[in-house]
Amino acid sequence: MSVEVRPKLIGARIKRVEDPRLLTGQGSFVDDRQPARMLHVAFRRSDHSHARITNIEPSAAAKMPGVFGVFTAADMNLMAKPVRATSRSKDYHATEMHALAKDKVRYVGEPVVAVLAESRYLAEDALEAIDIEFDSLPTVIDPEEAMKSGAPLLHEEAGSNVLLTRQFARGDADGELLTAPVRVKGRFRFGRKTPLAIENRTYLAEYDAGRQALTLYSSTQVPGILRDALVDILDISSHQLRVVAPDVGGGFGGKSSLYPEEIVVCALAKRFGRPVKFVSDRLEDLATTSQGFDEILDAEMGFDKDGNILAYRAEVIGDVGAYSIYPWTAALEPVQVISFLPGPYKIPNYRGRVRAVATSKSPTGPYRGVGRPISTFVTERLIDMGARRLNMDPAELRLRNFVGPKEFPYKTCSGIVWDQSSFTECLERACKEIGYDAFLKEQAGARASGRWLGVGFASYAELTGIGSRISAAPGMPINTGTELSTVKIDSTGSVTAIFGIASHGQGLETTLAQVVADELGARMEDVRVIQGDSAAVAHSTGTYASRSAVLAGGAATLAAKAVREKIIRVSSHLLEAAPADIRVEHGTVFVTGTDRKMTFKELARAVYSEMGRVPLDIREDLEATKQYDPVFGTTTSATHVAIVEIDAKTFRVKVLRYQVVEDCGKMINPLIVDGQVHGGVAQGIGAALLEKIIYDDKGQLLTASLVDYLVPSAAEIPPMKVSHIETRSPSTVGGFRGMGEGGTIGAPGAIANAVSNALSHLGIEITELPITPEQLFRAVRQSTK
Amino acid sequence: MKPAAFEYAAPSSLQEATKILADYNGEAKILAGGQSLVPMLNFRLLKPQILVDINRIPNLDYIAEHNGGVRIGALTRHYALETSPVIAARFPVISEAMRHVAHLAIRNRGTLGGSLSHADPAAELALMAILLDARLTAASASGTRIIEAKDFFVGALSNALEESEILREVEFPGFPLFTGWGFEEFAQRLGDFAVAAAAATLTMSGARCTQCRIAVIGGETVVRAVNAEALLTSSSLDDKTITAAAKAAAQATPMNSDLRASSDLRAHLVEALTRRALEAAKHRALEKQQ
Ligand SMILES: Cc1cc2nc3c(=O)[nH]c(=O)nc-3n(C[C@H](O)[C@H](O)[C@H](O)COP(=O)(O)OP(=O)(O)OC[C@H]3O[C@@H](n4cnc5c(N)ncnc54)[C@H](O)[C@@H]3O)c2cc1C
Repeated sequence: MSVEVRPKLIGARIKRVEDPRLLTGQGSFVDDRQPARMLHVAFRRSDHSHARITNIEPSAAAKMPGVFGVFTAADMNLMAKPVRATSRSKDYHATEMHALAKDKVRYVGEPVVAVLAESRYLAEDALEAIDIEFDSLPTVIDPEEAMKSGAPLLHEEAGSNVLLTRQFARGDADGELLTAPVRVKGRFRFGRKTPLAIENRTYLAEYDAGRQALTLYSSTQVPGILRDALVDILDISSHQLRVVAPDVGGGFGGKSSLYPEEIVVCALAKRFGRPVKFVSDRLEDLATTSQGFDEILDAEMGFDKDGNILAYRAEVIGDVGAYSIYPWTAALEPVQVISFLPGPYKIPNYRGRVRAVATSKSPTGPYRGVGRPISTFVTERLIDMGARRLNMDPAELRLRNFVGPKEFPYKTCSGIVWDQSSFTECLERACKEIGYDAFLKEQAGARASGRWLGVGFASYAELTGIGSRISAAPGMPINTGTELSTVKIDSTGSVTAIFGIASHGQGLETTLAQVVADELGARMEDVRVIQGDSAAVAHSTGTYASRSAVLAGGAATLAAKAVREKIIRVSSHLLEAAPADIRVEHGTVFVTGTDRKMTFKELARAVYSEMGRVPLDIREDLEATKQYDPVFGTTTSATHVAIVEIDAKTFRVKVLRYQVVEDCGKMINPLIVDGQVHGGVAQGIGAALLEKIIYDDKGQLLTASLVDYLVPSAAEIPPMKVSHIETRSPSTVGGFRGMGEGGTIGAPGAIANAVSNALSHLGIEITELPITPEQLFRAVRQSTK
Repeated sequence: MKPAAFEYAAPSSLQEATKILADYNGEAKILAGGQSLVPMLNFRLLKPQILVDINRIPNLDYIAEHNGGVRIGALTRHYALETSPVIAARFPVISEAMRHVAHLAIRNRGTLGGSLSHADPAAELALMAILLDARLTAASASGTRIIEAKDFFVGALSNALEESEILREVEFPGFPLFTGWGFEEFAQRLGDFAVAAAAATLTMSGARCTQCRIAVIGGETVVRAVNAEALLTSSSLDDKTITAAAKAAAQATPMNSDLRASSDLRAHLVEALTRRALEAAKHRALEKQQ
């Protein structure tokens, strides 16, 4: 009798409920809060890459109009402990970071002095009056130089600039590579990139002196991580600190670490009992928000003459910048590179080794895709180079080496397990959608008339929604594997769903409401999602690593189901029906086969307000809190195909067409999935063709404004087609797989392959991203010499 | 990125404005569209004592036909130039170039006078002024004077105006009959300043080229490629001569080297773009004769 006729909300293309608010200027970002008596803090930052601080003269600044105070490390260290990102990994050295640089500076942009003033203008005026004497130390710019013994040390107490060494191996890659009939190799470089969220990092700390309670409003992705870290750093108890992430204008990983400025606003607000705000400007954002992707790989792949991969080996150097960032550590990206190099392929022999090297540049941290844009770029390039040598079609070579549809679950040579995934199906469908065979004909014709067209694939697999058995970064002392959700129906019948995750553009207020409404039997409009508040749940970390739909979605499912069971129990009493005859839909409880029903409002009144209506022994609150832990996580896979044209005279690379076929399991909201893919691909195109953070050999940041750091705008992004294969994850509640990062993972490799393909008549193989006109100009000139 | 304190004046006449400029003796800055000036203030690269906002001065925003050419007021916005039917009819090369200037929001604010005064070596309007032999009128408390475009751009971000002068008007003299034009730019993104650009006009009489103008972006300032022009003038614009002229254009000035491109790449681009601009100009000139 209980046939489900109602269209499910899960799977529906529902418009984002947060958009009307955000698009009409009614959002509430940190900078929108303007409490009375607020002070602004601005930072005098290091203009040296590596130097000893010999003297700071703050007195002139302290006397400037509107200046409330000037603070150095000596002051700050009385208010806050230094930060160390520890890890249980062996061969790892943590680095100590002070909110304001103590004794030494290690990158241009490192905060040295904080000025607290009535306005940001006056604070900046005062910054100019501060005199700092630096004693220059040798810069540590080139990671290969920095690794050498005798290189100048950034952190003397670590004893080395190599903060971490790690290796994964299976079989005998070195031996097999000696004898493999076909070998391809290269030195690959992926340029340093910055996340560049549209909202710069912004922090406001408010202190309630009467309650001795601090609230930090932060444009963060990780309110829970911040709360847990800051109570230690400030030496307060956790009920004295609440971290709120209100509307946040993008993060891409750049807002998922703890920043010195967050410590400073908290410490000063607490010290002076006045609200303290810091709004980073774009210059500070480019210089100090955690960067990513800066990796060098010497990689080699060997095949037999039929194209079966025999062995794969990579030596990786990760340039992690000045500090091992909290909480992710310097291991995060470098280790993910060697974890994911094997990709969706069966590789019998593998050795990947990485060294994470400190340099006197801005610290690196998570950036959308973490490690996998790099591993995918390199592996997919080697596959294409192999195809060229083997004279095989690159799609065919991939299909030959993929973990096949019947081979799941599959444990890769770096130890990751792929659950049932669609490697083969994604690629086959991508060939069909893009019209691969027809394009090859078009390409041949175009080449005859001097036009350089190229097609490139990138197939990848990523581990998403990771649970407690696998850490986002190895050995980290925090738990990134669980999320909590509370679902409750209040006395008016409204549904509130509470989470610790922190949506910052992903539309989680919509997708989580869809999940709760479906599982509970509520109407979408009755569900209010509360998130981004450390006080809302007992434990949470936040939103990063393609986890929130899987973990928060899973927790929401469990909590909503538990509340639904309570609804059924109580309404079975109220409506005098057997539980099996009760249906909960659209915020109403029905008794099947009768006209008896109760709305949530009536039900809630009966439970909470009508004294004695529900006998004490069966009375239950309509509320449940559940934790969800996917334990290992689940696999998301995709194939991207790019078709590009290169202007043979100006070397302009134009992406003509772009196709993504992905499998993120059961889709909660395909509209949002498409949007996430579009944005991710746009960032991947940026990484492939435009974006690069450049430091000169003095450690000065040359790309310190958006004139020099080139991000793609709408005009540079091609029309995209996204197709979906929906294989429910066997490993997660709801069958969801994470998909927030995938776009950025596939695009760099696909474009690098397409550009190489367009230049194949010249024998050019792209090994460095971004692909600049200068790089192409030199390569073409070299090849035609 | 907050500017240092400054005073602000919004005079309602040119006389008043030039008087303030004279009074402040080099410590004043003119504010037009603010699209280049305000970022420099925010970076504290400039700390003027006073900003003289010329946006309230009447009669500085116009496009008027004059002797077959046009006179354009200094406060004319980029968007007005881009969409003006007069410009489209008389100087289609300017209409085309304007589409490459920044983005719509910036073109709504940015002004002709501001762009030329700012003298960015990669600005499309500087390229147009040099290509089309523009005549610039500068006003000061003591009167006006005319500056030829070729004398106006004295270096990167530096112009021939006195500190007390305001650029008031720009005249583009008329296009000769049977003139074709070409404009080619390379920038990595739509709306960026040019990494390199070339623009050309070719005037034909029968199969002969009677006048040739080529201007290029790539060096310290926009320059005319005089050697290239000489090769083409009186030629029949055959492929060989165009090739040689494009090569010569790449040597018209020492090319800049920066994050975007080495001087080698810029020279290569200028050659390629000049060639395309010349081919387009030739094609249009021939079409006009028919
Ligand atoms: C993101 C971005 C992209 C851009 N891209 C391009 C591009 O691709 N190509 C391009 O050409 N430009 C570009 N620009 C610059 C833009 O065109 C500016 O508008 C222009 O350079 C300056 O014009 P303005 O009216 O804004 O001048 P302002 O910024 O107001 O002034 C610029 C300078 O000129 C002086 N000045 C202004 N008017 C006068 C006058 N009448 N007499 C004397 N001095 C005067 C000012 O004192 C100041 O020194 C870009 C700007 C931005 C912000």
